Amino acid sequence: MSSTGRRGVAVVIGSGSVKCAAALGLVNALRRADIAIDMLVGCSAGCLYATLLASGRTTADAAQMTRELWTSSITERHNRGAWLKAAFPRLFNFDARFGLRDDTLIMERLHAAFGDMRIESMKIPLHLAATDFATGNQAVFSSGPAIDAIRASIAVPFLFSPWPINGRLYIDGYMSDPLPVGVAIREGADVIVAMGFDSPYQERISNAGRFAFQVSAILSNNLLKSQFAFHGLAHHAEIIPIIPEFTQRIRLFDTEKIPYIIEEGERAAEAQIPYLSRLLDAQTPAAADAD
Amino acid sequence: MEIAVSSSGSVTIVEISGSVDGLTAGLLMRTLSDRVSDGWPRLVADCSALEYTSSAGLRTLLGAVKLARQHGGDLRLAAIQPGVLRVLDLSGFTSILKFYPDVDAAVFSFAEPA
Repeated sequence: MSSTGRRGVAVVIGSGSVKCAAALGLVNALRRADIAIDMLVGCSAGCLYATLLASGRTTADAAQMTRELWTSSITERHNRGAWLKAAFPRLFNFDARFGLRDDTLIMERLHAAFGDMRIESMKIPLHLAATDFATGNQAVFSSGPAIDAIRASIAVPFLFSPWPINGRLYIDGYMSDPLPVGVAIREGADVIVAMGFDSPYQERISNAGRFAFQVSAILSNNLLKSQFAFHGLAHHAEIIPIIPEFTQRIRLFDTEKIPYIIEEGERAAEAQIPYLSRLLDAQTPAAADAD
Repeated sequence: MEIAVSSSGSVTIVEISGSVDGLTAGLLMRTLSDRVSDGWPRLVADCSALEYTSSAGLRTLLGAVKLARQHGGDLRLAAIQPGVLRVLDLSGFTSILKFYPDVDAAVFSFAEPA
């Protein structure tokens, strides 16, 4: 609960690459309004921000850390073995741990940022969503090393290899639910603030990579809608979508735009703060007793 | 949220201002369901001043459109604003509801063959 005795909210940060930094603006707005966060749920790049915030980092720290962590250099180094496996699968023993980019650098940076943090030891309860590569089902990590769950949830198919945890392989959380509101519902949240993002469509389909990203964006955007629709209708209480409007195009690694992204996240959240405050006031035990 | 009800022929026009959310959705549902129960299942929601809808608002819209259609009518949305449209689109509602640029067009649509 906040210092005013209000109940808190669950914050769900969906997939969206660097756009997920808008969640920092959302958290700034919540804190200014003295609205506590009872639970954080993250998916894909949203896991980075959810984990940093759950661990007690300030939003300024989190912005700075992700500026250093999430740069285009993490995808620049090719995984030559994967290219050979793709071209000659039998000769080079193609297997499920396929990723066209070398993940050494991203792992180094995740270790530098998160060290040996464990999900169950966070200051705010944290749940990180990925996708089971064998079954396609959503997988939720509520305990264990944060690095493993984050690496699993950012395993963009074809780009980064699926990540093993306890004998199973996991890929990017957006493949099962780009905005995992259902996790917050299942964990008992009443009021859920959900920040989600469309996957951007390609301006030009000029190579196979862009073709694949376009197909992926179509699938994930339609999945986002269908999942959000179901959860919105199924939830017993309130889901408040916060959807920042970006007038500037934001690419995968536009970390120099993080201040702008945070600003837009804050602006979108500010518009809902008055309602959120009234809703939480109406739900406080004192208010309920007075009914 | 404020609601103003008027009619045009057999069509009820419900002007919704402000926010349809967990604190206000009940009033909107009562208003719409009362009209349907009174024999006025053709509903147009004038959304020109609707600023926001949360999941509670979406559940109300879905309940109202199902009720109206069960009684041979429909709930059609007019003059929806971009911010609200984004939430409706995100929630899949653009695939099941009919949208019109203004109230006149929405009212007129009921005169057209289905």
